[in-house]
Amino acid sequence: MDPNSPLKHAKHVFRAGFLFVVGVLTLVVLRYVLQPDTWGEFGPYRGESVREYRALPVQYGGVDGCAECHDDHVEMHRAGLHQPVSCELCHGPVTQHIADGEHIAEMPIRRSSATCLRCHERLTARPESFPQIVRAEHIEEMEGEPGPASCFECHDPHSPI
Amino acid sequence: MEDRELETMLNDVTSEKSNRREFLKRAAACGISFSSFGVVGLILPKEMEAKAELVPYDWDKHRWVYLVDVEKCIGCGACARACRTENSVPEGMYRTWIERYEIPAEGETAVDSPGGGEQGFGPGLQGREIPKAFFVPKLCNHCAETPCTQVCPVGASYSTNDGAVLVDQERCIGCGYCVQACPYGSRFINPETHTADKCTWCYHRVSKGLKPACVEICPVGARIFGDRKNPNDPVNEILATQKVHLLQPELLTKPQCYYRGLDMEVR
Repeated sequence: MDPNSPLKHAKHVFRAGFLFVVGVLTLVVLRYVLQPDTWGEFGPYRGESVREYRALPVQYGGVDGCAECHDDHVEMHRAGLHQPVSCELCHGPVTQHIADGEHIAEMPIRRSSATCLRCHERLTARPESFPQIVRAEHIEEMEGEPGPASCFECHDPHSPI
Repeated sequence: MEDRELETMLNDVTSEKSNRREFLKRAAACGISFSSFGVVGLILPKEMEAKAELVPYDWDKHRWVYLVDVEKCIGCGACARACRTENSVPEGMYRTWIERYEIPAEGETAVDSPGGGEQGFGPGLQGREIPKAFFVPKLCNHCAETPCTQVCPVGASYSTNDGAVLVDQERCIGCGYCVQACPYGSRFINPETHTADKCTWCYHRVSKGLKPACVEICPVGARIFGDRKNPNDPVNEILATQKVHLLQPELLTKPQCYYRGLDMEVR
């Protein structure tokens, strides 16, 4: 090449340009390969993840579903002091009992004082206004028989007192 | 001998120079490529088409908040048990838990949470006068300015438009940075999936119009869930008229879990 040509240093520009193009292409390819399909759908995260969370199965169904078959119990329960206590608190989630409208298993019936005492054993940290007992004292006072299910001698958990 | 040494030294220097030149060239190329990244991102907005129709639930119409009424909690642990069942939380890990604070007349405050309080609580401090004691349910605060999503190196942690902080279970690499970043200890590494795990406010329930499992099951109404964007939601009246507090507000994380009747001992 003529040493006086104005293009004598042009190869530097071409090299830099070539590197730039290669760099851009590499990024485009990497972006295509590494970036999940739904990335950026809603923000800087995989949009599909939101749908995955929404698709998770629900376990606890609420009292209304119980009333469809057990209306007598639900009616008594709703009229009593235990009205704010969900059926599923003691009996477990409805999905372990009903699936696709079909009965699949019996609900556990916990006839144990331990179930009651988780809420009603006297603890300093419990609010004063909440009904609580010291079990041994209460049984003695009521002249009951101490046993694993002694609460049920007097109380119906669906409508206590 | 000296000449030869000098020669090799010179060679070393020149080769070092050429290496440096090479390095500078590469660095410049990298620099240019990276600065062009932003432009590339704009040119190729892959899959950016509106896919909103696939999500019938309109999250822009909701802004969820959680309210814990400390004065009502009886520490029965039903919430923690329901959470475990609803979300298949592995044994020994807790998305929500209950702490008991017992503040004796003299001496140090005792804080305990045996098994997360999931099976209730034992007798507690004995033989001392305890003028102040209470239970505090804890869960992810779903902070509006969340520190945990900021530190995620792979974009697995994010906030939804309706305010829930979630973890992409497929994308998470289980590095645990977010577990350390959370000032409330709300996150853990799930031993089964080896990814970060946390309370989702039961997003699968909430986005179907249900309450989170812990709120649904709480027998005393100590846990309340509501929508800031729904003017008829009772939670708005409570927040507007009653005295509520936040956990560690000094951290400016803007928690979206409010606590009614919170004591200063609670962190």
